[in-house]
Amino acid sequence: MKDNILQIDSLKKYYGKADSETKALDGISFQVIQGEFLGIMGSSGSGKSTLLNCIATVIKPTQGRILLKGKEISKMNGRELASYRGNVIGYLFQNFELLDNLTGRENIMLPLSMHNVSEKESEERLLKLASYLEIEQVLDKFPTQMSGGQKQRIAAARALILKPEIVLADEPTGALDSKNARQLMAKLEGLNRDERSTILMVTHDSNAASYCQRILFIQDGKIFHELRRDYPEETREQFYERILNVMARLGGGSNNVL
Amino acid sequence: MFFDLVSKNSKRDRKENGLLFSTLVISIVAFYLILSLSHQDVMIFLKKMESDAVNKLMMMIPLFYGMTLFILFFLVYFASRYQIERRSHEFGVYLMMGMRRYRLFMLLLFEDVRNTFFALITGIPIGIALAEIISLVTVKMVGIGIVEHSFSISLEAIIFTIIGFVIIKFMAFAILSGKVIHRQIGELLNPRPAGSKKQHNRIVYILSFIFGMIMLGYAYVMAIRGLSWYNVRNMLLTYMAGFVGIICIFYGLRSLMNTIAKKNRRKQTLHTFTFRQLEEAVIQKSASLAISSILMLAGLCCFGSGIAIAKYYGTIDEHIIDYTFAAYQNDEADNIRETLENSDYARLFDTIFDIEIGYIRKSEDYDNAYLMPTVIDELNAISKTANNTKREDIDILLNNFSYTSYPYLISQSGYNELLKLKGEEELSLKDNEVCMYIGRGFNNENTREILNGIIAKRPEVSIDGEPFVLTGRLYADNIVVDRSITLSFALIVNDRVFEEMTLGETEIYTNATLSSSLKKEKSLIRTVMDANEELNGSGLVYESYLQNMGRTLFYRVAASYITIYLAIVFIIVANTIIGVQFLTNLRKTGRRYQTLIKIGASYEALCYSADKQINWYFGIPVIMAAINSIFGVRALFTGILSGRTAEDTLSLMIISLAMILVMCVIELIYIIVVRKAGESYILSLMTLEREE
Repeated sequence: MKDNILQIDSLKKYYGKADSETKALDGISFQVIQGEFLGIMGSSGSGKSTLLNCIATVIKPTQGRILLKGKEISKMNGRELASYRGNVIGYLFQNFELLDNLTGRENIMLPLSMHNVSEKESEERLLKLASYLEIEQVLDKFPTQMSGGQKQRIAAARALILKPEIVLADEPTGALDSKNARQLMAKLEGLNRDERSTILMVTHDSNAASYCQRILFIQDGKIFHELRRDYPEETREQFYERILNVMARLGGGSNNVL
Repeated sequence: MFFDLVSKNSKRDRKENGLLFSTLVISIVAFYLILSLSHQDVMIFLKKMESDAVNKLMMMIPLFYGMTLFILFFLVYFASRYQIERRSHEFGVYLMMGMRRYRLFMLLLFEDVRNTFFALITGIPIGIALAEIISLVTVKMVGIGIVEHSFSISLEAIIFTIIGFVIIKFMAFAILSGKVIHRQIGELLNPRPAGSKKQHNRIVYILSFIFGMIMLGYAYVMAIRGLSWYNVRNMLLTYMAGFVGIICIFYGLRSLMNTIAKKNRRKQTLHTFTFRQLEEAVIQKSASLAISSILMLAGLCCFGSGIAIAKYYGTIDEHIIDYTFAAYQNDEADNIRETLENSDYARLFDTIFDIEIGYIRKSEDYDNAYLMPTVIDELNAISKTANNTKREDIDILLNNFSYTSYPYLISQSGYNELLKLKGEEELSLKDNEVCMYIGRGFNNENTREILNGIIAKRPEVSIDGEPFVLTGRLYADNIVVDRSITLSFALIVNDRVFEEMTLGETEIYTNATLSSSLKKEKSLIRTVMDANEELNGSGLVYESYLQNMGRTLFYRVAASYITIYLAIVFIIVANTIIGVQFLTNLRKTGRRYQTLIKIGASYEALCYSADKQINWYFGIPVIMAAINSIFGVRALFTGILSGRTAEDTLSLMIISLAMILVMCVIELIYIIVVRKAGESYILSLMTLEREE
């Protein structure tokens, strides 16, 4: 368990009070190890986004602990949290969240100016990421002049520029067509493999999920199933089939499961 | 239920959007202040003294009212627009829930009526109170402690305030609600920044900037050199050049923003973001920023020149005599003397004396009755070696002297009384000696120095062909109390010569000074007023120092009141437009800030960026306006104070500069207020994110 990067201990998040209480997360525990590409799947309202938002410190859990590299994030103050975001975690949004008045390069460099990192140091990394993600052509363009896929790859470069410990991706393919989605996932898979980047991705796209090494299925705020890809024996297509099977059972709800 | 919603919404609006509410209140106060001008103590007081001038000013009030209406419309419009923008999501939700557009319109209308009502009941009392304070302060400032202050409410002013306010409020409402009602639900739910406009080549902006500078420079040269005051066409040209110049400079600023944004200052947090935001704001709003700057400029010019001009008229030069009784025949003058000296009126005065003046009746050659070729030659000689200002002064003197061939003579005995009162040495002119008299306002330090130099040489002059020498120094004391009666040129001669030259056809002014014990007892003004009351029964025609002071006071009050009023209105409008635009933009780009928070920007970093944006956003138009106002005030002086001397302009410029500085401090306060609003909005973004 030494190379555990993220540890979630019986995490609970309740909304509302008494009768109208909603258990978005109802005691979830799991670990993410260094260099892992973990997917979290579930239907709408299963709690997967709440989980991601808790880890991203966007919302506060009701109970439980989130340890990132052994440090409990719920105990951090505002300044520490700001430094934690971007520095320790990189975030990839469904709708890219690029600033439309900044060029691609400026968007990617944005975390640097927030964490007072010199741009010179990161210039090399920027070029490497840009070349890998095939976005060199659009670096000096504004988001409005880019395709959806280019935007998301710019966003990916922004999430990775500071070499965060873990990248949280919230439905990164949600706003992309299938071709761009496949291209992005292939890139993320490659980054995970070559750079040992740890990625935690929430998705309900089975195809995107098939790029992961392990998938947690969440339902009603609890972990309901786990799938592991037998790499390299199992092909992505085979893993995809298995995911579809679980999803089919999930779709029926918890009453007719297993 | 509907009216519940109306009442809750309007209450929340007033609470949450203090900016809009205070803007509305300010508008109402501004209306009331201009409309209640006739009820100001000073104006009531002046009406007694200078009813003509006051009435003329009062006739101009509708004009100022109309102007205020026009300017404040923009104020209310922009503030309301901000309010509508920030609630756009809410309107979207109403429509999504099935509210009909007509009903939404009614909802907004009723809210507006409620808000208008609350603004009025807050604003009118403030207006009344402020009018009272201004009334009291002006009375104190101009130093007439005599006016009995009575609390006054002008019903007419209240009614017209309400009418004016309601008109602009509902005009703004009609335009804005029309816009909202016709917007798509999606647009209402997710207001997006206007997006980047088409960018031109950099060279276009640079050229625009240079062109703007040239136009502005041209405008100021025209105005300061006085060319624009020649005719309406020149004036229009100057205005157009100035206006186009400022607009072009602001348009050209885009290139500057772009350059700063691209320049990497690694240590500065969110540097690129800050300047990209500014670039966007400047691109989209360059015209309105320019107009705000022009409004500020107008405000600063009004403020600076208003105070300086008021101060100029306020420089009431030392007064020696308190009363002048005019007589046009000698026996009438005797009558006056007798009435004053041998009756109850005598106790009112310390001294009563006559000053006699008259033309050189002995001569019939009007073109050559008086000649002073030596003096003119001397002046011409000095002019050749003098510097520019001195040469200008000499030119004026020479020009004036060309009309002095048939001057007034002043009798020595009368003038000596004046000198005695002043505590100066009396004249004892010989039969062949004369002294030169040039009234105040026709000479200045330069001309006095030059002429005294010439007089010291005792140059020869001739009166009706007889030789005389100029002696003593240049004299300039007012010979009557009325400052509008002045002698541009006269000669003081001894009584014998006076008698001989005027052939006894003279004008006699009986001057008097008030009893110093009475003055000590009451204030000067009270004494004058009481004496006036008594003298009114005597049937004597007189002019008192107070009437004269009333005249200067009127110019002073009218100039300062109107200009300061307009200045404040201009400044408030300009600042509100800038502030509201900034905050609207901040809200529209709120999502960007949320993104920044998600990728790790701290509250401090965001505030730093927002503050910096505010500084620049305000700073650009303010600095532009401040720099422009220096030239602007100077140009106004050229026009308004034409013919005045250089020394005056300089000291007035200093006063104006001080005022401009004061206004810059007010700007700073505005910036701080908007900063606070911006910071609290960013804080709301942070906390919302954390709670969800």
